[in-house]
Amino acid sequence: MIELRKIWFSYSGDRHVLRDVDAQFDRGLTVVMGPNGSGKTTLLKVSSLLYKATKGKVMVDGVDYWSLKDPDKLRVRREVIYVHESPRVIRGSVLDNLAYGFKLRGLREGEALREVLRLVELLNMKHLAEERAVGGLSIGEKQLIALVRALALKPRYLFLDEPLAHVHLSKRRSVVRVLEDLKDSSAIVVSTHDPLPLLSVADEALLIDEGRVVFRGRAEEALRLVL
Amino acid sequence: MTMCGEILDVVARSLLISSSATLLAAAWSIPASVKLASSRSRWRDPVVGVFNALVGFPAVLVGLLVYLAFSRSGPLGWLNLLYTPQAIIIGQAALITPLFISLSYELFARAIDNYWELAVSLGASKLQAYGLVVKEVLGEVLVVVLVAFARAIGELGVALLVGGNIKGTTRVLTTAIALEVEKGEFDKALTLGLLLLLAIVVVAMSSRLIKRRLS
Repeated sequence: MIELRKIWFSYSGDRHVLRDVDAQFDRGLTVVMGPNGSGKTTLLKVSSLLYKATKGKVMVDGVDYWSLKDPDKLRVRREVIYVHESPRVIRGSVLDNLAYGFKLRGLREGEALREVLRLVELLNMKHLAEERAVGGLSIGEKQLIALVRALALKPRYLFLDEPLAHVHLSKRRSVVRVLEDLKDSSAIVVSTHDPLPLLSVADEALLIDEGRVVFRGRAEEALRLVL
Repeated sequence: MTMCGEILDVVARSLLISSSATLLAAAWSIPASVKLASSRSRWRDPVVGVFNALVGFPAVLVGLLVYLAFSRSGPLGWLNLLYTPQAIIIGQAALITPLFISLSYELFARAIDNYWELAVSLGASKLQAYGLVVKEVLGEVLVVVLVAFARAIGELGVALLVGGNIKGTTRVLTTAIALEVEKGEFDKALTLGLLLLLAIVVVAMSSRLIKRRLS
């Protein structure tokens, strides 16, 4: 379980983007909602161990992550994946991108490809995988690649920042279905300003406003709030 | 030495001095840019602002400051470097440092934001994350190096003030052109000018080629 204890965060010291946030993420799908600039992305980046909080602790399975030594940090880190809202790709082919996470873990390409191809099939994006270079792809296609790259690693904790923002409507349902399949074995935390497509399959919801958690509860309750 | 030999000597010296100055500036500017780009200090933006402002610092003023530093009564006078190629190298390196830092800071800030975070978010070790950043920005860093080199080889103020335009030792393309104009040898000055232009055009074309290959 990843647990945030009394987290405060500021980028430059003067304005706190997160204020006294407590949260826990365990198996299941959690939707983080909130208006633009409310702190959703920062919350995800702090929870996914990318950013160190200004104040407070991030506990992973009861251990303070930031007090760990580098090799232990890396071991924990490899169970946590964060996918950016604006998709990030590396130079090279689509397959280079899809296999990048596996390469970091020293896995051979063959092993990596099997899982990647399974997801490619599932999300009906074979045509994309055949593309040689990522340079000419649309932002939505890049977002799908970033999603598959993360999902293929089957992380214990998966943090997705606005994963449906650029994805075409026809693919959204497939992405939601893949997340629904994965939520029994992983903790998936999704930030979105359009929670409706995800709340129907989510377990929990969290509403954040001006850096503070103002609601935390079952997804059904949140759905009632939204509708 | 024949006129042709003399010109080739000046061209070779210019290339050697300005390449050395570029490498020297790269040696401190690249680490400084990486440090600045990865810093979250509140002083980062003001420091970057100062370097941006210094890009337009006049070469002759840098030359004067380096001259004062290396003159016999200056703080570095004991090094006896005034009127040597080394003095020009240091002066040119100082001149191009703000340009180097300003351009490479933008590059590394973007790369760290994009690739460092991407690598770490997918479970990379620090070494693997640096590896990705370097791989992704290498070509663009090379373009910055070429731009800085073009600025160094084309400047006159530093080379003239701290080099002294001594034949066979510190005479470079720009100081040689100035001398030939003073002597009224406009044909020779133009030949040297064309060679300088050629060097700058080759550098500019190389950076364009690199950019095109990257995109």
